[in-house]
Amino acid sequence: MILTDREIKIAIHRGLIRIEPPPDESEENSAYSATAVDLTLDPSIAIYDPQLPGLDSKIDPSSPGFNVERIADSLTRKHKLSSAGYPLPHGEFILAWTAEYIDLITEARLAARVEGKSSLARCGLAIHMTAPTIHCGFQGRVRLEIFNHSPIPIVLKPGMKICQLILEVTLGTPEKGYRGQFWGQTSTRKKKAKAA
Amino acid sequence: MRVKVRRIGDAMHPSEVVVQVKTIAGNENLVVDKRSIQHDSLAIGAPIARRGENWLVELPRETMQGAWRVWVKRNALTEDAEEARVA
Repeated sequence: MILTDREIKIAIHRGLIRIEPPPDESEENSAYSATAVDLTLDPSIAIYDPQLPGLDSKIDPSSPGFNVERIADSLTRKHKLSSAGYPLPHGEFILAWTAEYIDLITEARLAARVEGKSSLARCGLAIHMTAPTIHCGFQGRVRLEIFNHSPIPIVLKPGMKICQLILEVTLGTPEKGYRGQFWGQTSTRKKKAKAA
Repeated sequence: MRVKVRRIGDAMHPSEVVVQVKTIAGNENLVVDKRSIQHDSLAIGAPIARRGENWLVELPRETMQGAWRVWVKRNALTEDAEEARVA
C-alpha cells in the first residue's frame, strides 16, 4: 500500500520517517502530492567526462575488487551548481543527490521508491537508472543517476524539485527488523548475567 | 544491533564516506552517510540468521560487490545504546 500525503505527514510526525530539511507544506509550494513527496536537487553533482579519443576502457562489475565508487570518481569531475544552474547537454550522464536526508526506520514497515516527475520526464530527463528502490533502514541522501534524453540541454538548478519519493507499507516486518529471533543473543550483559 | 566498520575514504558527495565491513568471506566496501556512523559502527537492525559464531546481517546499503546480506563474526557486531539498555 502506498502512503498518501496525510499518512506521510503522520509518519514523519511519529518519527517513522525522517526527511531533513522537512518537505515544504506551504500552499504555494507544497512538496506533497496525493501519494508522494517531492525531493529537491543538491548543489553537488558529478559529471561524467567524455572519454578521450583512442582510450579503450570498459567497466567489468564482476572483476575481483570491483569498486564502483572509485570508478565513478575517476570518470567524473565534481561540480557545484550555481543559482544559474547547469545546462545538462543531450546524452550526458551525471550523478546527483537529493538535498534531503532520508531515514527509513527499520522497524517502521516502510520502504520507498524514488521516481521521476512527469513534468521533467516529458522534457526527456531521467533521474534514475533502473534502481529506484530505497530499502527500509536506509539513511542518507538519495543518489540520482540523471540522463538527458532530450535533443536539447535541460537546465538543472539547486533546490529544484527533481524527483518524488513514494512510500510504501511492507507486508509485515522484514527479518532485520524482527527482534524476536536473535534478540539479545549477542548481549555481553546477558552472558555475564548467565555466567553469574 | 550494529556492525563495526572502518572508514577507508571519502565518497563522491561531501555527506558520504566509504566504509569497509569485515565479513567471513573478506572485506565488503559500501558508501554510507556520515551521520549513519556512530563509534565506528552502522545500525543493521536484527541479525537474520546464525551458524555457530557466524551471523548473517543485512547492511543498510548495497555493497560495491552487490551484496546486501553478509556473514560476519560475532566480534564484528556491537549493540546499540537502546539494546544495551533493554538487555
